[in-house]
Amino acid sequence: MLTYALRRLAGAVPLLLLISVLVFALAKQMPGDGLGGGLNPGNKDPRYISDMREKLGYGDSLAVQYIRWLKQAVSGNFGQSFLYKMPAGELIGQRLPATLLLAGLSLFITYGVSLTLGMIAGRNPGSRLDRLILTAVYVAYAIPTSIAAILAIYIFAVVLHWVPLGGTVSVVTSRGLSALGDRVIHALLPAAVLGLFNTAAYTQFLRNEIVENSGKNYVRTAVSKGISRSSVYNRHILRNSLLPLVTFLGMDIGGLLGGSVVIENLFAYPGIGTLFVAAVSGRDYAVMMAVTLMTGFMIVAGNAVADILYGWLDPRIRAGYNGGRS
Amino acid sequence: MTNKNAPVSLMGASARKFAANRPAVVSLLFLIAVLALCLLAPWLTAHDPVKINLRSLNQEPSAEHWLGTDKGGRDMVSRLLFGGRATLWISLCVTAIIAGTGTVVGVLAGYFGGSADSLLMRMTDVVLSFPFIILVIVVKSVDPDGGIPSLIWTVGLLGWGGFARVIRAKTLAEKENEYMLAARALGAGTLRILTRHLLPGLLGVFIVNLMWTAAAMIGVEASLSFLGFGVPVGQPSWGNMLADALSPEVISGQWWVWLPACLLITGVILSIHFIGEGVKEAISIQERHI
Repeated sequence: MLTYALRRLAGAVPLLLLISVLVFALAKQMPGDGLGGGLNPGNKDPRYISDMREKLGYGDSLAVQYIRWLKQAVSGNFGQSFLYKMPAGELIGQRLPATLLLAGLSLFITYGVSLTLGMIAGRNPGSRLDRLILTAVYVAYAIPTSIAAILAIYIFAVVLHWVPLGGTVSVVTSRGLSALGDRVIHALLPAAVLGLFNTAAYTQFLRNEIVENSGKNYVRTAVSKGISRSSVYNRHILRNSLLPLVTFLGMDIGGLLGGSVVIENLFAYPGIGTLFVAAVSGRDYAVMMAVTLMTGFMIVAGNAVADILYGWLDPRIRAGYNGGRS
Repeated sequence: MTNKNAPVSLMGASARKFAANRPAVVSLLFLIAVLALCLLAPWLTAHDPVKINLRSLNQEPSAEHWLGTDKGGRDMVSRLLFGGRATLWISLCVTAIIAGTGTVVGVLAGYFGGSADSLLMRMTDVVLSFPFIILVIVVKSVDPDGGIPSLIWTVGLLGWGGFARVIRAKTLAEKENEYMLAARALGAGTLRILTRHLLPGLLGVFIVNLMWTAAAMIGVEASLSFLGFGVPVGQPSWGNMLADALSPEVISGQWWVWLPACLLITGVILSIHFIGEGVKEAISIQERHI
């Protein structure tokens, strides 16, 4: 198992390097100083620009610049935010917990809802309830995030008055546990909208897996041994149907990070997504490139963790991976 | 007297199967109607979708303005139709770029394998390692004032990773068919094998992914324009109309500004999905016949 995990992690290193090369190349294309944020993009004076470029080491060859930048990035130095006048890494560190809360809550809602709906639909394929759930899944699949958010704001803010209109996050003044509770409550609606697509995908996947698995031999064996219907579903079928969902986790991280850019701005939620858009609009290139690099690393790490988890849960995967590489 | 077992052409059988799928047929008619209305917009409506009209601000639906007017006094029907022109055009162009690049890359990687495969797949791995929307925004900020053409190329050239992966997987599966070996044994050249034997087998996967991409790109346009990195502000597009919907006065008091746009966009995406499902089922007949 450990060999498998180490192999999988080692396999991610070249990808991480390629990602850093792409981010570096993009940063070099940006007007101003996309790497360190030391250059004021508003100052167009050629003397200032050439002086600063010399000072920031832009006279060196690209390879030297890349290695210097990579060394700094590895040690957590992503340059200086031009807008906020503080290190980009520190800025991201401040905003990251809010986005992680949003993404975590969204996954929690997704798992809860899709497990329930998928079980109901999968146990009664062809029933009216099954068709109703499948129709809802179809619509949830099709509806773009921005429309889902507008509808959610209309229903919960305008019609029901459950959340304030125009920004669903109140300024948190209290501290400690009640502050955390306050944050969770205010993240609920954006998290639900953020998880809508995943919820639809999971529900449909689980339902089909359950329907397919219930025709398999091990289920017939279990039934003929006299095990009750609910026990067969909960213990035998559900376990096998849940297994492939683990691999979705890696892809979900990308979807959640990308989705949170849209959702956070729709709901005026102060996380990485709003930081990123403000950085792009304000030409704060160092912050923009740091966020891009970080999301890339998070996705690669998420995929590796999902693969390792899957290999841990299903020995066949582990064997196939080691066999294929050695 | 008709023979029940008379041979039917595969195309005919597929068409009949599609025609029997009611959601798919209704969706197709709906989509054609929307496309026609958007294309004919300049001749259908006399109202300017861009010019601000101070005499008709925020009007409710009336005989003059069927769906009312927005905060700039512009007719909503006209904005919906012209917005659809922009959004559907973007979706169409982006889908063409993605399908073209994705198919070429997927077929080359899957059919030839080896170092070409490794190189192309590492490229897709890198592109797919970023949240799509973040990568598009970053790349587009190199050329922030490029307008719609720059938007189309950026989204298209960054978006083909998933498409290429699916085509590659299907190519790997198709390659194992014995008729491929037979064709090679008979001395067919690579080009002939690819175009005559491989590509027809990819058709089903290709069409389903094509539809899926076209639908997804409508959502991408909406998200990008909403964030201010899509269609330039001022030009009508469905995404820009959704961005207008978010002001508190509009969402609480002017349903005609946001509800029709939401319904139309969701309807178009749903209908593209239904058509894709219909085509998938219709083509699966062919696969069974072979």
